[in-house]
Amino acid sequence: MSTAIEERLTNLWETPHTLYGWFATVDHKQIGKRYLVTAMAFLIAGGLEALVMRLQLAKANQNLLSPEVYNQIFTMHAVTMIFWYASPILSGFAVYFIPLMIGARDMAYPRLNAFTYWSFLFSGLFLYGSVLVGQSPHGGWFAYVPFTSKTYSPGLGMDFYALALIFLTISTEGGAINFIVTIFRLRAPGMTVSKMPLFLYSTLTISCAIILALPSLTVACVFLELDRQWGFHFFDVAGGGAPLLWQQLFWIFGHPWVYVVFLPATGMISMLIPVFSRRPIVGYPYVALSTVLTGLVGFGVWVHHMFAVGMSQMGMSFFSAASMTISIFSAVQVFAWLATVWTGRPIPTASFKFAMGFIALLVIGGLNGIVTAVIPVDWQVHDTYFVVSHLHYVLVGANMFPVFAAFYYWLPKITGRMLDERVGTWSFWIMFIGMNVTFFPMHLLGIEGMTRRIYTFPSGLGWDSLNLISTIGAFVLAVGILLSVLNFFASLSGGRLAGRNPWKADTLEWSTDSPPAPYGSVHIPTVVSRHPLWDDHDEEEDPGDARVLDQGRLTLASTSLDAEPLALARMPEDSLWPFLFNLAMTLFFVALVIKWLWLALAGVIAMLVFNAFWLWPKPIKRPA
Amino acid sequence: MSTIALDRLPPDVASHPPLVSELDDRRGTAAMWLFILTEAALFILLFFSYFYLAEGGWRWPMEEPPKLHLAIPMLVVLWISSGVLHWGEKQVKARRYSRGRAGLAVTILLGLIFLVMQAFEYREHLRTLSPQTNVYGSIFYTITTFHAAHLILGLLMLLYVLFLPRYEPVDRPPHRPFHNAALYWHFVDFVWVWIIAFLYIAPNTR
Repeated sequence: MSTAIEERLTNLWETPHTLYGWFATVDHKQIGKRYLVTAMAFLIAGGLEALVMRLQLAKANQNLLSPEVYNQIFTMHAVTMIFWYASPILSGFAVYFIPLMIGARDMAYPRLNAFTYWSFLFSGLFLYGSVLVGQSPHGGWFAYVPFTSKTYSPGLGMDFYALALIFLTISTEGGAINFIVTIFRLRAPGMTVSKMPLFLYSTLTISCAIILALPSLTVACVFLELDRQWGFHFFDVAGGGAPLLWQQLFWIFGHPWVYVVFLPATGMISMLIPVFSRRPIVGYPYVALSTVLTGLVGFGVWVHHMFAVGMSQMGMSFFSAASMTISIFSAVQVFAWLATVWTGRPIPTASFKFAMGFIALLVIGGLNGIVTAVIPVDWQVHDTYFVVSHLHYVLVGANMFPVFAAFYYWLPKITGRMLDERVGTWSFWIMFIGMNVTFFPMHLLGIEGMTRRIYTFPSGLGWDSLNLISTIGAFVLAVGILLSVLNFFASLSGGRLAGRNPWKADTLEWSTDSPPAPYGSVHIPTVVSRHPLWDDHDEEEDPGDARVLDQGRLTLASTSLDAEPLALARMPEDSLWPFLFNLAMTLFFVALVIKWLWLALAGVIAMLVFNAFWLWPKPIKRPA
Repeated sequence: MSTIALDRLPPDVASHPPLVSELDDRRGTAAMWLFILTEAALFILLFFSYFYLAEGGWRWPMEEPPKLHLAIPMLVVLWISSGVLHWGEKQVKARRYSRGRAGLAVTILLGLIFLVMQAFEYREHLRTLSPQTNVYGSIFYTITTFHAAHLILGLLMLLYVLFLPRYEPVDRPPHRPFHNAALYWHFVDFVWVWIIAFLYIAPNTR
């Protein structure tokens, strides 16, 4: 009986292993894997750019890169890391694991999910298309006007920047809508909001932040593009415009974005630290609450990026106070993690070591962040390497280290094979040492007055040895990352089989096979506690097979707060239209860069036609 | 919500009926609300930019404010269109589908009339002010064109619903397409109210 059911579910949910299936799949597991691989590729691209920069700065008066090329490389490094690695990699984990964590068979909108992946990929390829024409963006990741206006930045570089970001915001918005509805609509019966894994809280928070904050980036980039290509005057003082408007719009988006790349990482840490400490997390409600509050207060801190532009004392004091408030919420989380480890029986796996390394780096990055929230200090170190150091401690420490912890923790579920723990431990220590050797000296360089974004420096200012140390550190860090990448490839063939639950973890994704079947679990699970796999309740107990749902591509919809079973949610079949839609959208953006308006119009019409086909009612596949 | 058609299933599948027999038809509406929320954020930021560029002068521009003789009738046209659409939705709920379709067609017609009026309005405006004249022209045309683009998107949604073969609740998506498209249309109309208030009426109050 049960094998017949499994066979039928597989028939219903499996994507055919054909070329068509490859482009048309809407399976969240396929799409999640693609997100992770693509984002890692962008991490490696951005990392190589960083190494080239460190080579240029290793000694005084180097000529490895010309000033213009150096500007393009540091901009591409920043834009790649912040937009095409740091957020998409977290989306990758969310797309793969959230349906499994909540016992659903897919995301709420599977075709939208495929759409957001393709637009993430194509917008990234579009951005890197600028390298092919030799005109990459060169204005830093926040691209301040007037430097980025047509007068001072001729060529196509900044047009690529503005259009690629508009392209990416479409993808990110779609993803945010998908996460919110998935989490509020498809949770397994019994998984009330007070029993959700903490990763869901962080993903919900950042999805709401994206919905409200990301349009600001869209508006800013549209204004920039209109100014540059069509002679508008938004940022042009001679036409009555205001250059500061760019900074306002960019940071209204920009600071919530910092939490977008940070909070889901803390959510993952809040899930894996308890597993390796063999006890539930300390202060679950406080951790959940501080996650949500960080997202909320994160909207009131953007001006702290602009203390140096000259504003009213009152305004600046408010934003300074809000910025310091945020550190309270982060502190709540840090102490909850420490208390969990302290009172648990920690098992020092590689994943756990990355998590501990993350806490150390977050504390350093957070402390030097508080230092820069103090306005007089900020005026002193603004635009110096002190800020470079701060943001790398936060981004590398609080995004990349948790991501590696998550890789060592969750990859066995995705591939079905364990990673080598010894290599993982080596990789961790090398990365941790490399990270600190690279970025700690930058604090000192900043205090000694080395400004950021200079392509070289004269000797005799006391910067030489610190810069050399930093460059050596960067290569050590790269070796550490490389070790983990090799570890991954070696595990694919030689790794020990993982089995369902190698870490004896508590959440639902570990109740499925490794790798999970196309349909997830046979019976939609029910949940009675925060730790489904640690309690006595049998999640898949279902004598009448009422939760098999093999009547079609179905999953269970439930109420938002109490997760009471509500209805059957019909899921769409595989579809080629999301992919084709994105081809048309890429055509549209390419046409805008070269200003072929008829081609752009053709792109728009193609998008509309494809969208109509996408949404048109289709016959429903019945079980065989 | 509609009940799923279990009777057409093969006997071995129908032998274990699912936990619930209702079919979820609200996910599309949820997505539409979130889409409207993010679009609302977009327009709020455009208005923020408008006032930021006005440097606190809420009656900006000081000389020659935009004329109201077309803008106010355009507002009325959109109000009527929203009313008609709402009436059409009620008809669909009461299973009078051809009346619903008629309401939809009238709404689309009113939307097109709005666009024609806006074209005339632009022609009048462009004699004295172009987007390239100064920053006021830039933000004025950007906001109004953004609105027009969203209105066209709303029109396309309505057009799609007009051509859908069936309005009866069915167990296949799209669910409640009329309702979802109507939500978006009401939102676009609502934005025009704020455009009228901020960009047209406020500069004329002196």
